[in-house]
Amino acid sequence: MPLPFFNVLRPRTTETALEALERHGADAQVIAGGTDLVPSIKQGLFSPRVLIDLKGLRELDFIRFDPGRGLEIGALTTISALAASPVLAVQFPVLHEAAKTVASPLLRNMGTLGGNLCLDTRCLYYNQSSFWRGSLGGCIKKDGTVCHVAPGSDMCWAVFSGDTAPALIALDARVNLVSPRGQREVPLADLYLNDGLTRLNKMADEIVTVVRVPAASADWRGTYRKLRIRQSIDYPLAGVAVTMRKDSDGACLEARIALTAVNPAPRRVSAADQLAGQKYAAELVEEVAREAIRTAKPLKTSASTMEYRRHMIRVFVRRALTDLWQNGR
Amino acid sequence: MGTTLTTESPIGARVPMIDSEGKVTGKGLYTDDLALPGTLVGKILHSPHAHARIVAIDTSEAVRLPGVKAVATGRETPVKYGILPIGHDETIFATDKVRYVGDNVAAVAAETAEIAEQALRLIRVDYEILPAWFDPEKSMQADENLIHAEKPHNIEKDYHHHFGDVEKGFGEADYIREDRFVCAEVTHAALEPHSTLAQYDAEAGEITVWSSTQVPYYLMLTLASTLQMPQEKVRVIKPLVGGGFGGKSEVIPLELAAAVLARKAGQPVKITYTREEVFYAHRGRPFQIVELKTGVTRDGRLTAVQARIIQDGGAYCSYGVVTILYSGQLLNAMYEIPNVKFDGYRVLTNKPACGAMRGHGTVNTRFGFEQQLNRIASVLGIDPVEIRRRNLLKAPCITVNGLRVLSYGLPECIDKVRERSGWHEKYGKRPYGKGIGIAGSHYVSGAANSIVRSDMPHSTVNLTVDGDGIVTIFTGASEIGQGSDTLHVQVVAAELGIELDRVKIVAADTARTPIDIGSYSSRVTFMAGNAAMAAARHAKNQILAAAARKMATSPENLVIEGGRVMCSDDRRLAMSFADAARLALNGDGELHATGSYRPPAEAQGGKFKGAGVGPSPAYSYCAQTAEVTVDPETGQVTVDRLIAAHDCGKAINPICVEGQVIGSVWMGLGQAVQEEMTWRNGRLMNPGLLEYRSASTLESPLIEPIIVESNDPEGPFGAKEAGEGSLAATIPAVSHAIYDAVGVWIDTLPITPEKILKAIEEKKVSEARS
Amino acid sequence: MKKRSAAQEERLPLEKEVVQLHINGQTHALRLEPNRLLLEALREDLRLTGTKCGCDDSSCGACTVLVNGQPQMSCLMLAASYQDAEIITIEGVADGSELDPLQRGFMVEGGAQCGFCTPGMILTAKYLLASNPSPTDQEMSDALSGNLCRCTGYTQIFTSVRKAIELMREREPHEVRS
Repeated sequence: MPLPFFNVLRPRTTETALEALERHGADAQVIAGGTDLVPSIKQGLFSPRVLIDLKGLRELDFIRFDPGRGLEIGALTTISALAASPVLAVQFPVLHEAAKTVASPLLRNMGTLGGNLCLDTRCLYYNQSSFWRGSLGGCIKKDGTVCHVAPGSDMCWAVFSGDTAPALIALDARVNLVSPRGQREVPLADLYLNDGLTRLNKMADEIVTVVRVPAASADWRGTYRKLRIRQSIDYPLAGVAVTMRKDSDGACLEARIALTAVNPAPRRVSAADQLAGQKYAAELVEEVAREAIRTAKPLKTSASTMEYRRHMIRVFVRRALTDLWQNGR
Repeated sequence: MGTTLTTESPIGARVPMIDSEGKVTGKGLYTDDLALPGTLVGKILHSPHAHARIVAIDTSEAVRLPGVKAVATGRETPVKYGILPIGHDETIFATDKVRYVGDNVAAVAAETAEIAEQALRLIRVDYEILPAWFDPEKSMQADENLIHAEKPHNIEKDYHHHFGDVEKGFGEADYIREDRFVCAEVTHAALEPHSTLAQYDAEAGEITVWSSTQVPYYLMLTLASTLQMPQEKVRVIKPLVGGGFGGKSEVIPLELAAAVLARKAGQPVKITYTREEVFYAHRGRPFQIVELKTGVTRDGRLTAVQARIIQDGGAYCSYGVVTILYSGQLLNAMYEIPNVKFDGYRVLTNKPACGAMRGHGTVNTRFGFEQQLNRIASVLGIDPVEIRRRNLLKAPCITVNGLRVLSYGLPECIDKVRERSGWHEKYGKRPYGKGIGIAGSHYVSGAANSIVRSDMPHSTVNLTVDGDGIVTIFTGASEIGQGSDTLHVQVVAAELGIELDRVKIVAADTARTPIDIGSYSSRVTFMAGNAAMAAARHAKNQILAAAARKMATSPENLVIEGGRVMCSDDRRLAMSFADAARLALNGDGELHATGSYRPPAEAQGGKFKGAGVGPSPAYSYCAQTAEVTVDPETGQVTVDRLIAAHDCGKAINPICVEGQVIGSVWMGLGQAVQEEMTWRNGRLMNPGLLEYRSASTLESPLIEPIIVESNDPEGPFGAKEAGEGSLAATIPAVSHAIYDAVGVWIDTLPITPEKILKAIEEKKVSEARS
Repeated sequence: MKKRSAAQEERLPLEKEVVQLHINGQTHALRLEPNRLLLEALREDLRLTGTKCGCDDSSCGACTVLVNGQPQMSCLMLAASYQDAEIITIEGVADGSELDPLQRGFMVEGGAQCGFCTPGMILTAKYLLASNPSPTDQEMSDALSGNLCRCTGYTQIFTSVRKAIELMREREPHEVRS
């Protein structure tokens, strides 16, 4: 299926990329691996006149770890590179696990961390061809006014479906954004808006350049659990990232939980805070797992039902916490 | 790659498929790989409405767009067609109404895809929207807004069969079970999207169509009828086909659209469906409700079976009448059932037409029946292996509904999987969460009655032998990845006693090859195989007669082995096959022979209405065990092991037979646990391979095929079908294993984790109550 | 029909640019529009039709090519963005007339039925064996999990890759093998 017409710019530096973005404004869109954007352009979800291809920004393709400064990952790093990184495997296992579950090996070879963090929100009524959407008169997110999963709702319930974001949120990551006006760094969790339509707390001319994980998050135990029907290729139907730091007696010093694919944004589960300083207790785990469901508000945006996705959030949180708490150091 | 086997017979040899080199090097050409100078891109305009009257179509703007070479609408080609003679309800483009989202309204041929797309947007269609029918049980009550005016209550066809006396049978039963099974709609999802290239020669008035089809001959007939051209002016050529599974076993709209556009434009036109269009062309396995009532004696012998079946056929007939008949007729020919009653309804709805898909018509009924049999075994405390043994046919036999069964390898299939799986050590003995299940299935080796009403043979094969002893086979049979071409070569080489690489094949080109009705209903090995064998035998007789004259002996004394004609008493008396062939030419340049196959009258079934569907010259049989792990907290199922024993009569090529059996089992597993077309208000929610989840490697266990050879008396070298019969058993076997693991029966497909979880919860609640 | 926005309707004045692609060891200079996908450039401009298109949502893997040795999907790649890359398609896998062990493995073990996924599958397997000459079943399964096959249930594909490993070992001198 051919793509509609557009021009492509291929900057070699962040600076020239920003210039291009400034010059073309709303006509332009950035593309990196293209794994999310190209199929969406084919479906007519986006009609850019100019694509700014960021793959030439080799300066943003790196994984650096320094025990003092923490972990820094360039936005152009491929998901495969994350999955293959020994540093991640040993010191940031939650991110390593999450990266390994993204889509398929082929797509991981192309998709980038920046792209995975900025994934468009997804919904069965939105990720369809122009013909399909046109036959229904569009939806609130594109070419229409009605949300078909929640008629009467004035917001869009399309879900954020990235795997690396919850892992990074559970590592307290921050993200660096640059624009022609300068740069800013925000907690990754704050990059997202819990609305499928607006979705990102980011200006159109801002580019995600670097993700930073504080040194304090290194060596936390962590795990990522993903619900899907097909064990490859699929986006998550629900996902849970859990990290934990324990003392020598096995008591929990700190724990963090983040959810994906059950809300328009990846969300922290605040109930994880109550585990700080606690010894393992099954009831405690169950309580947090139950609380996690309150954060998850999926509607019928994907192949699975909201009931099952919520159930799986609870099971995943329980299992992940139990695993991290009871096994290993 | 050497495929020469000089000493061993090519029958039973693991011969690499003769077209495989082109497939591994990328040089093999599929339809979309073809290019003719000046080829235009064809695109089809589809209906955005499920049910609407076309008030007006205005193509004037599209016609004027630079780069557009032809625009076609239904007005110009109103001839109705359909794969079944009694189901001619389609036109190339809608003439009066559209009947599903995706129905075909018009088409454009243009210099580029972009221009064609733009032209489609310029076609203005005024629709008057009509109320639509999506639920088959509601649709069959309809009195107005009928989908086809001539089909009251939107019922395409209903059948009511009664063999024996079910009331008497239920009277003799000690236990009667009634269950309702609901099976979701699934589709072929062959990896190659349909593609057609058409070229019209205006001077000669001839059209040549290259298409990804399983049925070149039917396509030729339909092109001739819908384009109103003489058959001899229509040529269909089938290049490599990237998977069919039934989805290319009838004429698909793009094939006719491309031809119409090519004729109109006077330039070649190619249409390749987008993946979404493939889902609208569909013709897959329908949503089906199976209500089954089965009676058994205390010791598990079947006394009567009564089935009420409703199929949601979508908006056109397609193969529907055959599908509904198969779903009832093939309750039989598996086990001994003395009394059978069947009420079947093929219902129209405003969705894409369902048609033939691997295991055509049998799969969902077989799921229900085998599941019910396993439930009965469980209630009566009879081992599921044993209950099957107690109900075996006494073959050779003719079933109550007139199906003739000769070879019958089911008992051996059951034994083989029982043994290999360690059944008796496992069933009912695994820890909670682990389970094993068993089920069986069968399928026809081609239909004994052709869907084109004619007395001609179902397969004809010609061959020529030249003065160098090179044999060329001409067959209309369609290679679609299953090994049709290789099979022909093996059969002919074996019959002639020559090396495989002496045999060449020309296949599936209606201008060059004799009539074969196509690759569907698992008919090629049996029917084209028999025709090829007969052709080879005729050639052989001529060659042996000539050699015998030269060697001053009688032909009966001669054999051909390893490419040499020899006297069976004195093998030193010999000559090469080429020399013998040359002698047989009698001065002509080539020796010609023809063989054909038509099913024997005894295999053609009974005389009642609908009796024509179900009879086959031979049935394949299969038994399977599935082993699963179920996570009772999530409902998630891991299939650990699948063993499938398949009676294919004789494995002419074990690589192909194993490939077909494994592929069938795997496709059955997909239907069992994860595949499903989901609909909302007539809109397909998953018209793509991202959301229609064909399994990846990660959910696919290694499948263990076991070949059982019952040597069918009428099959070529004893062979019968291998490509479909194993699919149906997988679903009930997996379901049974889930029951064995966690104690719940799931009667609706697909068996999702959510359904299992819910059933486990319900079971807990009811157990707590009691 | 819905009216399209002016931006969609208007065709941009696109300059075709000269694009140099390095494919199967050869450099091709093509004049391509900026929106040309590598898949289209291969199939239509270079007539290398071994690379297949099976879906439109980048889920099937039939269009897999090797980009600097790594399998990627050509249906997602803007051709002009890959001018610095070494691209291998299925047509570049055999060494002249000598088939690659993977190609032979797929032939003799029935790894190719309809053959439509085969080019992508072989290329992905090539990358797997280059980085891991003796993969476990799980590693093989992981590596091939982005290439869908509808015919073989993957069983015969696994057997074919195993056969290729065997053929590669036979080809190696014995002293190297240990």
